[in-house]
Amino acid sequence: MTRALGWLTALALIAGLGAAFGYAPREAAQGNVQRIMYLHVPAVLTAYLAFALVLAGSLGYLFTRRMGWDRLAVAAAEPGVLFTGLTIVSGSIWGKPTWGTWWTWDARLTSTAVLFLVYVGYLLLRGMVDEPDRRARYAAVVGILGAANIPIVHFSVKWWRALHQPSTILGPEPSPIAAPIALTLLVNWVAFTLLFLYFLARRAEIARLEDSHAG
Amino acid sequence: MPDNWGYVFAAYALAAIALGAYWRRLARRVKSLGGPGRPE
Repeated sequence: MTRALGWLTALALIAGLGAAFGYAPREAAQGNVQRIMYLHVPAVLTAYLAFALVLAGSLGYLFTRRMGWDRLAVAAAEPGVLFTGLTIVSGSIWGKPTWGTWWTWDARLTSTAVLFLVYVGYLLLRGMVDEPDRRARYAAVVGILGAANIPIVHFSVKWWRALHQPSTILGPEPSPIAAPIALTLLVNWVAFTLLFLYFLARRAEIARLEDSHAG
Repeated sequence: MPDNWGYVFAAYALAAIALGAYWRRLARRVKSLGGPGRPE
C-alpha cells in the first residue's frame, strides 16, 4: 500500500514539474521567477495540513490516552517542519528578485518563522523525554498550543500591513488567478499532499516499530 | 522583469535535495527497525 502510494506520489510530482515548467505560462509581471509559486504555495498548504493532523493527534491522545494518536501527531509533525522549512526557503529565494531582499520582518514571514520554530521545539521536546506517556502528554500540549499559530500565519496578511501579498487562494473572495496557473497550482498541491501522506505513512510505521521495540 | 532562472532552479533544486533526503532517511530507518524490505 505504502509502496503504491510512493509510486503514485512520484508520478504526481513529475506531473507537477511538467505543469510548472511546460504548461503554466510565463507570468506577465514577474516573469519566470513566479514559477517558484508552484513549490512555495503547495508547501505551505501541506504544512497547514500536517499541523492540523498534529492538533488532531494531540487532542486524540489527551482524550483517549491511546498511543496511536501520539504516533499520528509525531508522524505529521516531522514532515510538517520540513514543508514549513521549504516554504521559508523558497519564499526567501523568490523574495530576493521580486522584493529585493532575502528576508524582512513582515507579519507573514515572522509568523511562519515562529510556526517553524514552535514545531522544531515540539520535536526537540519529544527527543528529551524518555518516558512514553509523559512524552506524549507534553508533546500534545505543545501540539495544541502550536496550532493556534496557523490562523495567525494565514490571516496575518489581512490583519497587519504586510509586504507579502494577500491570499489569492483560500481567501474569502473568488481567486483572481488565471486558469492555467490555477490548474498547475492544483496539480502541485495534489502532488505535495500525496508526498506528505507517503511521509506520514512511513513515519507512522517507524513510530509503531520503535514502540514495539521499546515495549 | 528579467526571468531570474537561477533563483527558480535554486529553489527547486534545494526542495528536491531536502525532500529526497527525507524520503531516503525514512526508508533507511524503516529497514533498520525491521520493517518491510529487510530480510529476516
